[in-house]
Amino acid sequence: MNTRRTTTPKSVQASRLNRRDFLIRGGLMGAGALSLPALLAACGSDSGSTSDTVGGGGGDSSLFFENWPDYMDEETIDLFQTASGVSMKYTEAFNDNNEYFAKIQPAMSKGNAIDPDILAPTFWMAARLLQLGWVQKLPKADIPNFAYLRDDLRGQSWDKNDEYHLPYQSGIAGIAYNSKITGRDLKSVSDLFDPAFKGKIGMLTEMRDTIGLILMGEGKKIADITTFDQASVAFDKLGKAKSEGQIRSFTGNDYVDDLSAGNFAACVAWSGDVLQLSKDNPDVKFIVPEEGGTSWYDTMVWMKGSENGDAVAKWMNFLYDPVNAARLTAYVQYISPVKGVQDELVNMGGDNAKLAEDPLLFPDTATFSRLQSWGALVEEEEAKFDEAFASVTGA
Amino acid sequence: MTSVVSAGKKWGASLASRPENVGLGVMLGLGFGAVALAAQWVKGPSSLLVAIAMLTMVVGLIYIAFAGGIEARKSLAPYGLLKPGMIWLCLFFLAPLWSMVVMSLSSKAGRFDFFPDFTWNFENYRIALTKFRPQFIRSFSYAAIATLLTVVIGYPLAYFIAFRGGKYRNILLGLVVVPFFTSYLIRTLAWNNILADEGPVVSLINTLQITGVFESLNIMQNGKLMNTPAAVIGGLTYNFLPFMILPIYVSLEKIDVRLVDAAMDLYSSASQAFRKVVLPLSLPGLFAGGLLVFIPAAGDFVNAQFLGNPQTTMIGNSIQDQFLRQLNYPVASAMSFVLMIIITIIVLIYTKFMGTEDLA
Repeated sequence: MNTRRTTTPKSVQASRLNRRDFLIRGGLMGAGALSLPALLAACGSDSGSTSDTVGGGGGDSSLFFENWPDYMDEETIDLFQTASGVSMKYTEAFNDNNEYFAKIQPAMSKGNAIDPDILAPTFWMAARLLQLGWVQKLPKADIPNFAYLRDDLRGQSWDKNDEYHLPYQSGIAGIAYNSKITGRDLKSVSDLFDPAFKGKIGMLTEMRDTIGLILMGEGKKIADITTFDQASVAFDKLGKAKSEGQIRSFTGNDYVDDLSAGNFAACVAWSGDVLQLSKDNPDVKFIVPEEGGTSWYDTMVWMKGSENGDAVAKWMNFLYDPVNAARLTAYVQYISPVKGVQDELVNMGGDNAKLAEDPLLFPDTATFSRLQSWGALVEEEEAKFDEAFASVTGA
Repeated sequence: MTSVVSAGKKWGASLASRPENVGLGVMLGLGFGAVALAAQWVKGPSSLLVAIAMLTMVVGLIYIAFAGGIEARKSLAPYGLLKPGMIWLCLFFLAPLWSMVVMSLSSKAGRFDFFPDFTWNFENYRIALTKFRPQFIRSFSYAAIATLLTVVIGYPLAYFIAFRGGKYRNILLGLVVVPFFTSYLIRTLAWNNILADEGPVVSLINTLQITGVFESLNIMQNGKLMNTPAAVIGGLTYNFLPFMILPIYVSLEKIDVRLVDAAMDLYSSASQAFRKVVLPLSLPGLFAGGLLVFIPAAGDFVNAQFLGNPQTTMIGNSIQDQFLRQLNYPVASAMSFVLMIIITIIVLIYTKFMGTEDLA
């Protein structure tokens, strides 16, 4: 889901590949044979490079956290280093779940450690990493602040005893619309399929959010879905809408531009983005449809091969202190997985106290009850979902 | 002991007497060694042996170059100059190409099988050619249209700069290249704003009330420009235009204007002079520009991703998806290889008709 934060950096990467591609192609021009192998070769060498970045290993006093772009304030890191004595390396090169997976796969699948100790993939990717045996059990005995984890995030189907992951931030996928274009308020998933908005509807490339929302529109409970057949109705509906030209494009983060420019009348969107956007453009609104919205979370996992368990525990414990969690929320403006953040925001006063009132940061119980989240999909079923989604998106 | 040394000397001398063979041999040997190492034909301790063998060849070559005197060095020089490029191509083109071909014939045991076994699995090619046929066809059509458009736009511009540019020539050429100072991606995203539904172009078209004209030409769909095939082709054309202008400019710039005067003196009209003198002399530039635009455009995925809709995806997008999302490296490799083969065939046919002898 975090593709939202990711598109710009991811795209920069794409353009870099492309430039390199140009150069290689140019060089090979005389030979008259070329092109995509160079691109793939570039992808390949790129993938390998994670493990070559500056080393974060070593004793207990160091920690390397690779996170999504623009997902933490620097103050938090400084405070942590001072408080714990751990020297922390923090980078934001995690741009996209699938791409990052492709990047670490060569090393991890050979049983080699990657440099980061902690990653914060979206929950389904964390589940995949666990399934592949690439993550370690967290040193929970040393994380007393685990007690502050929100109840609804406990006992997830892929990690029933909360042994392998600790949520970093969470959020909602629902519908955003530009009321200037729609001319009316939207409230339901079916509004996305209203012929009046033909060619003005955007969908997310994040399969679970787009398909999840459509499934809820069809009255399904997405937590119960374990096979592709149970979800095929949503793919059919989406495929039909695509062929009829209802859907303008599938986007990552860039839907924000399309929405405020009026290219999209409505689209599947993430709450955090729209919260930001609506400040500049009051026409843009976000709703959790009456049929329901998907809830997602990015979650911290301790990568296999990392020996910095002590520092990992110190970090997670620090982050789950409501005071620190509140400071993070004030910066990233997503839904915190930590209990007590709302009170701490009020204590912080000023603009932060206003955040404590925000229904998209602290959804009321009525909204919360409409949220659903995906369970884990087994390997073959997930492959079917991804393939079907690729064929709908045209790739 | 002495006999061994003298035999060695003799052998060395006989090699040194034909240094060009040594040069060629070492070049091929190094190239082969580089591919063997990079494509992992040899692994572990034996790769060390290959590396030592390569080093020995280099040392031997240096010895012969020094022992053989100026004549030997002269005949070794061409191979010496070829070596960096050759090794580069071996390491970064031939070896990856080999891995790609092997991968394209492999099969995976499961979704997360990251080391597919080589099984002569031609099924990958069947999938590449059937399931992704629309994307292949679309890619080549878009690339062909974009190439034609770059000629239509680029040729007059190059002509103007070369013959009418005068003292502003360099500035004008600089302006052609200026867009490259910005990231490829930013340039493409800028089109997003320009072509947006509420953006300047669509507003102008609406104000002039010529939307119908554009719709009937199939350039606009449902009153929008953005996210249509026209936007993707437009993006390709825009992004690759300089690759067409520059080679054409280079070949036009070399033309002696007195040839045109001579044609006029022989009673040809301006258009005849252009057709019979200028155009033929600029063909090498057109040819090179065509290759430089068509080939990258056919494999491009950025324009289709940001300017297109779900029905305008190109083969580059599909390969990226297979590679990064589906983790289906065998099929992605097969698709890349097919793309490469088709481009090669197109280039060969193109070369046959356009000719490369004059390609400067």
